Amino acid sequence: MATRGGRSRSGRKADQEFVSEAEEILERMREDYADLDDQRAAGGEVEPDLINRLFRSAHSLKALAGMFGLESIQDLAHHLEDILDGLRLGRVSLDSPLIGLIDEAIHTFANLLESVGDEEALAAFNEPVEDLANRIEASAKEASAGGELQSLEIDDALLRALTEYEEHRLRENIQRGRHIMLVVSTFEIMSFDEGLSELSDSIREFGEVISTLPAPGETPESQIRFSLLVASDLNVAELTEAFDFPDAEVESVREGGLAVEAIAEPSASEPAPQAPLASEQESLRSISETVRVDIHKLDELMILVGEFVIQRASIGEIAARLLAQPQNAKIGAELSKIHKSFDRKLKGIQSAVLEVRMVPMRQVFDKVSRVVRSLRRDLQKDVRLEVSGADTELDKLIVEELVDPLMHIVRNSIDHGIESVEERLAAGKAAQGCTKISAFQRGNHVVISVSDDGKGIDRAALLARAESLGLVSADTELSDRETLNLIFVPGLSTQVGVSETSGRGVGMDVVRENVAALGGAVEVESIPDRGTTISMTLPITLAIIQSLIVSVGEHRFAIPINAVHETLLIDTSEIQRSEGRKILNLRGDALLLRSLAEEFELGVSESSEKQFAVIVGLGEQRIGLLVDSLEGQQDTVIKPIQGPVKNMRGFSGATELGDQDAVLVVDIASLLEDALSRKESA
Amino acid sequence: MSAVRPSSDEVREWDDLARSASDRGDSAESFDEIHQLLCFEIAGAPYAVPVERVREIVRMRPVTPVPRTPEVVRGVISLRGEMIELIDLRRRLDLGSIEPSRRTRIIVVKTDDDEVVGLLVDAVREVLRVSDEAIQSATGSDTGAVSELCTFRDEFVSIIELDRLLALDA
Repeated sequence: MATRGGRSRSGRKADQEFVSEAEEILERMREDYADLDDQRAAGGEVEPDLINRLFRSAHSLKALAGMFGLESIQDLAHHLEDILDGLRLGRVSLDSPLIGLIDEAIHTFANLLESVGDEEALAAFNEPVEDLANRIEASAKEASAGGELQSLEIDDALLRALTEYEEHRLRENIQRGRHIMLVVSTFEIMSFDEGLSELSDSIREFGEVISTLPAPGETPESQIRFSLLVASDLNVAELTEAFDFPDAEVESVREGGLAVEAIAEPSASEPAPQAPLASEQESLRSISETVRVDIHKLDELMILVGEFVIQRASIGEIAARLLAQPQNAKIGAELSKIHKSFDRKLKGIQSAVLEVRMVPMRQVFDKVSRVVRSLRRDLQKDVRLEVSGADTELDKLIVEELVDPLMHIVRNSIDHGIESVEERLAAGKAAQGCTKISAFQRGNHVVISVSDDGKGIDRAALLARAESLGLVSADTELSDRETLNLIFVPGLSTQVGVSETSGRGVGMDVVRENVAALGGAVEVESIPDRGTTISMTLPITLAIIQSLIVSVGEHRFAIPINAVHETLLIDTSEIQRSEGRKILNLRGDALLLRSLAEEFELGVSESSEKQFAVIVGLGEQRIGLLVDSLEGQQDTVIKPIQGPVKNMRGFSGATELGDQDAVLVVDIASLLEDALSRKESA
Repeated sequence: MSAVRPSSDEVREWDDLARSASDRGDSAESFDEIHQLLCFEIAGAPYAVPVERVREIVRMRPVTPVPRTPEVVRGVISLRGEMIELIDLRRRLDLGSIEPSRRTRIIVVKTDDDEVVGLLVDAVREVLRVSDEAIQSATGSDTGAVSELCTFRDEFVSIIELDRLLALDA
């Protein structure tokens, strides 16, 4: 009994392992296929690397399924690998109906993965999988029929050195009328790999490197010669001019232009050669060079590093204390030296750990694109999605938490923002609406914005609804921004009939809450009939942050340094008042001041004549926080506060300073919001 | 993160309490249902919480007050890097407030949503093993925190209903 239980447990674990790894491969395939489809639809040339990547993914999936004994998946992957191999070797045309089968196979894999671990459910797929495999085989036969080998007008010796794939790339380039050249250069044996990749990289800016071959010829013993077979739109003279490699000789192999009328591909009747060994090895290597890590393990690592950072500060303090005592100054100096070197290394570890956690926004954007595709269909709206800044990196944790808010904003944009085609045409706009998602880094923050060219937010409807709910009295005058900010009030939605898509329950209030929990802020801009932009400003990482420690009376608080713009020592007489609000003339601009003592009801009187103003801001908003003194910067690890009081407005968590001392971390986003939205005098 | 680290004095104190309760082996074995309760003192009277809700008992340590929270929230304590709210049980039970003494303890209990919270009590007494028979409904509760009483050595021990105790309206 015990052994059986044990085995099935380990079986389940193996299944999970398989599924998670396979899902990762599948995710890559989906992305690559989507790109392939786009490039194909755009009518241009399809990036050869894209097909290579798809081929390698199918190959990895096949190997993986084989390892776990999942035959149906292995079999389908094998067939898919065949099509892709044909495609990359040019045996299958990109216009072939086979391309559609790739998409179908990817979908089938997704279904199969869901059933892994459930024998019956898997068995139910046997028939459709077999059917798909047969169809692939049948169309593969059709696609590869016909075709004849013709001369390329290229030296046979050179041709013989090429793999089948390289030969295909050569044909492809000749067909496109490119110039074919050999770039020959000599390298020091000790460092030829660096030199070679430098050369290849600079050539790639102007064309494709089809193959790299050792070149014959006299060379001193310590040197080695290589020739690169290159295809480019530039001719020999132009290429020599364009790339900066004085040592390299460029010779023409074949002039460009469409001289050869029909360069047919080798016929299928020839025995299909084995896939080149080199690429097989490459595919295996690419798997083993990445390690999959549970994000929680990274969290643990992060916490440990965070604790180190705090302890490092105490070591620094001890060193400083020793240095101050004449009898211990020598030991103090030694300790201080060690502390400095420790500090440097710790910073290295810290940034390495942080870097591991960073992932590009692409993952989220791809998810959003998929949802947009189905939204377009369901809502019957003609919308184009434009994405930019997909390579912007953010902490994995933030990215995960961001999916729902972003999805919600995009749904809103398409559902409520973009008008119907009739409305758009009537308003003199292009029939097709456009929603743009972009991400970019600004200092320590990443700004992610969603904008559309739709009808904008209907202020009147928003106000009317706020009034009917008793949130705003009819005679209050709200500024345009205050009116727009009503969308963040729970229960307010301008659209009277809430549609299926934007749903009920989750609103912009939840979006704002989620973003605030990540230490970020949401802003809205909207121009009637022109469109709406919603931007989220988020910190790049949540893990270890620098904080400014301030004190008010006996209380200490930590302010995340990425929100601090500057600090000023001001005389209380400089503070002016308007409606009881404190205002400071900051280089001509009126800056709203909030006293932390008042804000947090600390019961501390501000008796001193001098106070510090900490100017904080997120996005475009700024306020000054008045405190008694500044205690310096510290590395801090912000921890959530556990306990029954969930809504500690004004604080995002706490951090430990020194021994057992908890210091509250001020949530700048909520302070800004409270300060800037308050309508009654303080 | 949640793993309890090697025994400090405080952890040992908790282990000792638990061990001495099971060593005593009171005559309760014959009953169907045995409850283990951690008994502590507030304003001279005994109170108890189920031991399975207790994670550890620690001595008083620095407390950082949290602005704009109900009075019963004494503040936040840092426990090996975890940030935990500290509830003043005296205030929660409307029994005023006193300065911490040598006997003051923080009982760290698990909340129903997988977090922990600290309860500040005057002193910790022992772990009780009591049967169903010894437990009766409370005669009413002014603060909503006590639901049952149990008799132990001729004394009534008030059993704290943790989930109701922790339902604070912030």
